[in-house]
Amino acid sequence: MPIEELDIIETPENVDLQRRLAGIGSRFLAGLLDSLLMIAMLMVLVIVVLAFDLHLFLVGDRMAEGAEVWLIAVLVVIGFLIYWGYFLFFELWMNGQTPGKRYMRIRVVQQEGRAVSFDSIAVRNLLRAVDGLGGYAVAGIVMFATRKMQRLGDLAAGTVVISEEIPDYSARQDTKQQVLDDMPATAAVLQETRLTPQEYRLLHSYWLRREQLTLEARCQLLPKLLWPVLERVGTRPADNSLAALETCLDELLTQAGSVRPSAAHTEPREESP
Amino acid sequence: VTPAHFLESRRAVWNRLESLLSRAARSGLRSLSEAELHELTRLYPAVAVDVARARMYQVDPVTQQRINQLAIAAHGLLYRRPSTRRLAAIWRFFRREYPRLFRRMWPYVTVAVAIFMIGALGTYVATRLVPSYAYIFVPHGLDVTPGDVTSEDISERFRQVPHPPMATGIMANNISVAVNSFALGITAGIGTCYLLLLNAMMLGGFAAHFVNHGLGYPLVAFIAPHGTLEIFAILVSSAAGLRLGYSLAVPGGMKRSASLRLGARDAVLLVLGTVPMFIIAGFIEGFVTPSYMPGIIKILLGVTVAGMVIAYLLVTGRDAGEGASARRHAVTDAASP
Repeated sequence: MPIEELDIIETPENVDLQRRLAGIGSRFLAGLLDSLLMIAMLMVLVIVVLAFDLHLFLVGDRMAEGAEVWLIAVLVVIGFLIYWGYFLFFELWMNGQTPGKRYMRIRVVQQEGRAVSFDSIAVRNLLRAVDGLGGYAVAGIVMFATRKMQRLGDLAAGTVVISEEIPDYSARQDTKQQVLDDMPATAAVLQETRLTPQEYRLLHSYWLRREQLTLEARCQLLPKLLWPVLERVGTRPADNSLAALETCLDELLTQAGSVRPSAAHTEPREESP
Repeated sequence: VTPAHFLESRRAVWNRLESLLSRAARSGLRSLSEAELHELTRLYPAVAVDVARARMYQVDPVTQQRINQLAIAAHGLLYRRPSTRRLAAIWRFFRREYPRLFRRMWPYVTVAVAIFMIGALGTYVATRLVPSYAYIFVPHGLDVTPGDVTSEDISERFRQVPHPPMATGIMANNISVAVNSFALGITAGIGTCYLLLLNAMMLGGFAAHFVNHGLGYPLVAFIAPHGTLEIFAILVSSAAGLRLGYSLAVPGGMKRSASLRLGARDAVLLVLGTVPMFIIAGFIEGFVTPSYMPGIIKILLGVTVAGMVIAYLLVTGRDAGEGASARRHAVTDAASP
């Protein structure tokens, strides 16, 4: 099982970028936003008909009565185009995004990392006819079962949905992350905690990332990282549970952080908002 | 250069890129000025290189991730398919590619026709032998048993409905059925077969019921104008579903995922090409079917239109020569040093 939903693409610049797959939550929300927008567009059509009928009722225009059937005929076509064409049009026009996807900062791309093609857009969106069964239950189940969180339409089109969300530093609430700096620890810290610089950096990076990791990944990783250190330092956790280990780690790092109370100010990470 | 120095010197660049990206994500690429777009194209490769440098300096993972996501977001904005002239592409598709695709898909079309025939003829024969079977297929409103139904009455029901909304409504409904036939192919073709068989049996049962009551000709006169093309287009979209299903079920020498992608591409183009057929059939159903034209003219019209569509699919797009030119190319390629 992959520890994180990552996927590597090689860019024309010869740099491997790590694509983060969009989560089911953000995809679902994007879909919800798009559906609401679609319903709003369809509502406009209904309002046009109602306004027309009101006009007939108030004015009793004989000419307009014959025109109404044509109006409805045209609106049926427009409604149909909105229903089937919404995703096709936007994903084509906005390079794999729809208004909802843009708001959630996710994008459809080909598995190989190229921009999404017309064929793929058509395949993935016409297959909504099956993916959408049971209120997208089919899509949800298939996404859980596939490694790259693809629904049937994505599998057939060879597409993935990736996140373009940029991690927001200013929103970091964890005080420990502000106190601890990412630079190699000073000699004073290392003496206090008896960690080597490598160990410090390793444990610290685990601490920074722990919330992005799945619980399984944390249970797998932390014992491997922490046990050798604890054995040498001579500390014993209460038991072998993840919580106990993380408390130990917390103490180690707090000890390190408390030695350098000014650390947060020496290397400002971001301009204050 | 220490990691600290690296972070210090590049921070302004990353923040600038981030502000450009978030503006583009909020209000679209169009909200950036020309100078800013140029800036974006300069910043992206520089930041992509920073991703590699950050990895080399082993800066903290959160910062690495941030630079990586900046590059990914810029990549998504900057890289897209080369824009084509859409109308020209659509014209080329129907002028050459679609008839060729259709001819390449003949095995699937054949299977679809066979399934349809089995379903329709089977039910027809069964309902002719046991008339009461018809009530499985015929809704109450359309029953003809009361006996006072004349040949004109079938068309008469249609004349009550205003024509323009009926034409577009029928188009919308039929295209949705076609899309479903395609999409259900993802069940290894089982869903497509089911849908096709269901429609075939309904038609067969219906036809037998009318023939049982001596109304065979009026029914043909009623269905044929639009039905010939409509049924043909449904068969083509079912063939698309079968193509999708077969590529999933029988990948041949390929990986299943690769086979599915190839099959899906053929299938979706095959079904998209039926849209104009349904539009033509919809207009005929809305305006010709309920008209007071003599039945024989209507039937001839329907057969002619469907015949023209099939001729288009079988004949056009051959100018460069499908098989012959491919062989010629192979020969010249082999001959050239």
